[in-house]
Amino acid sequence: MTVAPGAIPATIRGMEVEVPSGSEAETGLAPSSPEEVETILRFATDQRLKVQVWGGGSHQGYGRLETPDLVLLTNRLDGVEAWEPDDLTLTIGSGTQVARFEEMLSERNQTAVMPEHPGPATIGGVISAGVSSLKRGRLLGTRERLLEVIMVTGDGRRVRAGGRVVKNVSGYDLSRFVVGAFGALGVVVSVCLKLWPVPRAKATVTDPDLDLLHTLSRPLAVLERNGVTQVFLWGIDEEVEASADRIGGQMTPGHTWPTDPEAAFRWSLRVPPALTAAAISKLPASWSYLAIHGVGEIRLGSDDAEGAQELREWSEASAGRLVVVDSPRGSLPDFDPWGALPEGIEIQRRLIGQFDPSRVINPGRLPGGI
Amino acid sequence: MTSLTLGQQRVYEARPLPSLSMSLVSDLEQLLGADRVLHEPVELYLYSKDASSLVRGQPNCVVFPRTTEEVAEIVKLAEVHSAPVVARGAGTGLTAGASPTEGGIVVSTTSLNTVDIDPENSSAWVGAGVINLDLTLAAAPFGLQFAPDPSSQSACTVGGNVANNSGGPHCLAEGSTTSHILGLEVVLAGGEVMVLGGLAPDTPGLDLKGLIVGSEGTLGVVTRALVRLIPVDPDVRTLLIDFDQVEDACGTVSDIIAAGCVPAALEMMDQRMMEAVENWLQAGLPTNRAAILLVEVVGETAGVEAEAALIQEIALSRHSQAVRVASTEAERQLLWKGRKSAFGAVAQLAPDYYLHDTVVPRTRLVETMRDVNEIADRHGLLLVNVFHAGDGNLHPLIAFDSSDLAIAEKVRLAGDEIVALCIRNGGALSGEHGIGVEKRDLMKMNFNELDLDAQARLKETFDPRATFNPSKVLPQGSLCFDFGGVRKEVPEGAWV
Repeated sequence: MTVAPGAIPATIRGMEVEVPSGSEAETGLAPSSPEEVETILRFATDQRLKVQVWGGGSHQGYGRLETPDLVLLTNRLDGVEAWEPDDLTLTIGSGTQVARFEEMLSERNQTAVMPEHPGPATIGGVISAGVSSLKRGRLLGTRERLLEVIMVTGDGRRVRAGGRVVKNVSGYDLSRFVVGAFGALGVVVSVCLKLWPVPRAKATVTDPDLDLLHTLSRPLAVLERNGVTQVFLWGIDEEVEASADRIGGQMTPGHTWPTDPEAAFRWSLRVPPALTAAAISKLPASWSYLAIHGVGEIRLGSDDAEGAQELREWSEASAGRLVVVDSPRGSLPDFDPWGALPEGIEIQRRLIGQFDPSRVINPGRLPGGI
Repeated sequence: MTSLTLGQQRVYEARPLPSLSMSLVSDLEQLLGADRVLHEPVELYLYSKDASSLVRGQPNCVVFPRTTEEVAEIVKLAEVHSAPVVARGAGTGLTAGASPTEGGIVVSTTSLNTVDIDPENSSAWVGAGVINLDLTLAAAPFGLQFAPDPSSQSACTVGGNVANNSGGPHCLAEGSTTSHILGLEVVLAGGEVMVLGGLAPDTPGLDLKGLIVGSEGTLGVVTRALVRLIPVDPDVRTLLIDFDQVEDACGTVSDIIAAGCVPAALEMMDQRMMEAVENWLQAGLPTNRAAILLVEVVGETAGVEAEAALIQEIALSRHSQAVRVASTEAERQLLWKGRKSAFGAVAQLAPDYYLHDTVVPRTRLVETMRDVNEIADRHGLLLVNVFHAGDGNLHPLIAFDSSDLAIAEKVRLAGDEIVALCIRNGGALSGEHGIGVEKRDLMKMNFNELDLDAQARLKETFDPRATFNPSKVLPQGSLCFDFGGVRKEVPEGAWV
């Protein structure tokens, strides 16, 4: 369905902006408030329009999005509503860029433990795609940062879940539930995040003695990028020094985080943590990778999709998944972006029906074409 | 069934037992054998409530399944008989979450007790009925531990921890139970068995497993959990720091975190609580001080020594009178025993207690504590405090005698005022105990109609026939609890 000229009410017309490059929608809308998001989604539900949600455009390659009628840009839902350094909480609009608030937090030696190279990604996009920091082995993933979420459901209801305190078990955990949901429950308009203090000492050890890694007590991250292993440490000075001395390799102060492989095809290989090394051995020789040891997440890049099917079969036989993160448009017609259906797909479908009955937000993005 | 009225406001009347009860019992006996189905009144009485003083229900029967398949068959039978299913671990909950207020089948998970450690993946598949501490003991030979450590950990079950998203002192640094659940095996409506999540991270699609954690048994019955285990800490330092002013203790907490430290635990106890603990445990608590902090740091030896020294420095700059570092493991254990069994000590003060679990932003701790004490004083009640200061998770405890209904009513009123105060101060209804029946109707304080409607839709999708633990978590109709009407049989209680 397309939006007929003149069909968009004046209240929504005022939000119209240019469609971002990469979106196939005909109309771009940039709401400035939760109320405006409600207006757009009610209109979309009434008219059965498909709405693509767009933060920084960093995670638009996931799933098989149906061609959208509208693209809802969250960039005007930005800004810091409250930063409480002593409470370790940060409340921000969903269109706030990760790089922007992480830079602000670093001034007080705090972090929201977001992806290290977010580019233009927004907090809304990071949450919806469920992508996490390279520090997740020690500090856990994006899901564990979520304290409160305010979202607008597909049929235009504004719903709040969680609260602005670091510990909360009041009712169903709807706030963390939006992580990885690609907006299917609602367009997130603001969130409260749990922050973490950044200790003063940091060091990186490159090419450590792999046989000695087990002597470390919970390093911040053990990463392997195309055959090079790096151990990231932080903490009290004495602790970092003692740890670095113990594992050999080349120690440098501070952290320089490796970047994800850049290539035409990008993938996420997810396996039980103990199979990380085995998974790396299964990769086609030309693929580049960044593996998070102890987690089982391996970020991959390749120039083509050759070998992907074999890798998927191996991963699924090993209780894992090979997910397409990005690919040239139309290049993988017979390769499901998610692979085998997850358990409980019918319940997922029914749950989404409760929040987005006309399925207007990012339809087709989730497994099973939901 | 007893029906009590209190203050003309809150009435609890147990629903009459479904008429099909004997047929249900015989069907269950056929499934499990007579020895695993309890239905005599005295037996049922033992399973009629949890550790709270709030509500006593009345189940039709109590069953002890040994396998997930048996749980699935029980759920199918329950649906045939329109009987509620209430999962129950050790019954240590404090919100009446495991009280069978609508009758039906209490499914005791205690025979779902397998532990299968996978050291390579630092994880374990654990039966819902496995006791929290037993899991950590089973993991210890592999150098691993289960991080969530509610004070009831020597009795509470992993299934109960999953149901309530339980916390504990050490969730300051490690997160609550939800951060440690990788997968769940669960029996849903229709007796359908699903295995959700798994060892590989980021299962595509909606995170159903995460939604079930903390849902208090209202979406299905969890039979096994795949838990994340963390390495046993190579070294530990436990510090006892005392203060003449509660404000200084709270300020020390903030300063520690501002210095970039997140200790494994940061607990506070006030003077009245210290007196109660010291009176029976003789842990050497400074009962002449206004407050103490119990701080634990873990990690590499070099790190914990430096961190302990830094914390000591911070505390002294905040006018601490003394810092004591536990010099032996026995001393450390004694200090923790004082903390974790603090509520048992309250039995010396009065036969009953009512324990609140609320959260405020940590920066509002001082004023909140002052106002909480003022509320108790105004009602003429004895209130003591021991709580998770690092999280802003308060546990004000009112000691009283529930046989005096007038006092019990004051306790209830004071409790509601405390919750309202914490919400006003930017807090939440519950930090780690959950909602159950206790706070079900207070949910409206924290959430508007649309918010509650969204939560109700989750419940309805999973459990359209309202089979699983009905009348819990979400407010519906009139309030149903009997405050102070049930005396605690065993005053040692005290699970927080």
